[in-house]
Amino acid sequence: MVCNSGTSLVPTIGGAMHHFENVGLYDGLFVMQDTESKTFWNHMTGEALYGPEVGRVLGPIGNVLQITVDQSLAMGPDTRVAISDRPYFAAGERFGPDGVSASGARMAEGYAPANPDVRLSPMFTQTLGDEDTRLPRMTMGLALVTEATVRFYPMPAIEAADTVIDQIDGRSVVLYLDPTTFTPAAVFADTTSAAVDGPEIHLDGGRTVRDGVLYDATGTRLPTERPQQFFSRWYGVSLTFSDPEIYGR
Amino acid sequence: MTTWTSVRRCAAVLLLSGTAWLSTVTPAVAQRQSVPLDLPAGPALEGFDVSRLSNAGNGWFDTFHVEQTEPLDAVLEDGRLAGDTPMLVIETAAGALALVRDQMAFHHIAEGRAGGKDWMATF
Repeated sequence: MVCNSGTSLVPTIGGAMHHFENVGLYDGLFVMQDTESKTFWNHMTGEALYGPEVGRVLGPIGNVLQITVDQSLAMGPDTRVAISDRPYFAAGERFGPDGVSASGARMAEGYAPANPDVRLSPMFTQTLGDEDTRLPRMTMGLALVTEATVRFYPMPAIEAADTVIDQIDGRSVVLYLDPTTFTPAAVFADTTSAAVDGPEIHLDGGRTVRDGVLYDATGTRLPTERPQQFFSRWYGVSLTFSDPEIYGR
Repeated sequence: MTTWTSVRRCAAVLLLSGTAWLSTVTPAVAQRQSVPLDLPAGPALEGFDVSRLSNAGNGWFDTFHVEQTEPLDAVLEDGRLAGDTPMLVIETAAGALALVRDQMAFHHIAEGRAGGKDWMATF
């Protein structure tokens, strides 16, 4: 999905698990429909958009972390994995059944790179509402979403500073480009300094963030809290959330 | 832009491009037939304009209905994943669950049940 945003949702309605499919586009974002009620849903917020379940939210929402296998195991050695029957690539090798297009894995390589100059195809643009033109439509960034605040941090702002220390809803948050995946990420941490050093982010008091995990000066793992975050494009954020703030403005 | 920054941006672009395809589909893909929407009678959420709802892509993707999981470290050990393989990781009632990002770029939705609670990941 172009805006790249993922969310963890709870597909339980009335005590029963509903089954969801990707059925179309709205605001340039894919839209889900559950087969039981036929309701259409926003895949970022879990909010019912159209149908009998309007008023319901598939929450609470949670983060979908875009990390590597090594990082997953660093965060949780007991992490489990689910692998489907679709082709995928690992260490340059193709896995999965022969004769099945590796569309999800490979098609991307042939299409436009994900940069701010990428254009949406007409099948997307025809579904857009009134856009917020404070930033170019395809600007990448990290959106932090709390109950009180939606704030978008454009990638250029994060890249220029390497790290960003900010306050959101009264809590200190550190944003950084993950040194392994080069994707932006955010953790709650009370600090006045943050600097990238190889695979680590150095914070006050000798604390570090490594592989998405917060450690104290002795290397002991600390609880790592993350705000709800979407690595997404401006159009997706601004059309989904009302009047988001833009960091630095 | 510094060289290092350029490298990082390129890497991020490559990572992002794993899910960018749907926005910039080729003409051949765009010509693929989409299944008509099965629209209920409503109601609509305030502000939702059903006239902008498109069936583009309907029927192209299959949700990943997860029936079984396995330890990630074991899959790494037997070589079906590499340490640098991009994953999507969520928290379920039974702990962290990883999904292969390449596969989720096709499925877009994964659902399952763990620890007595339903979970769903979208991408």
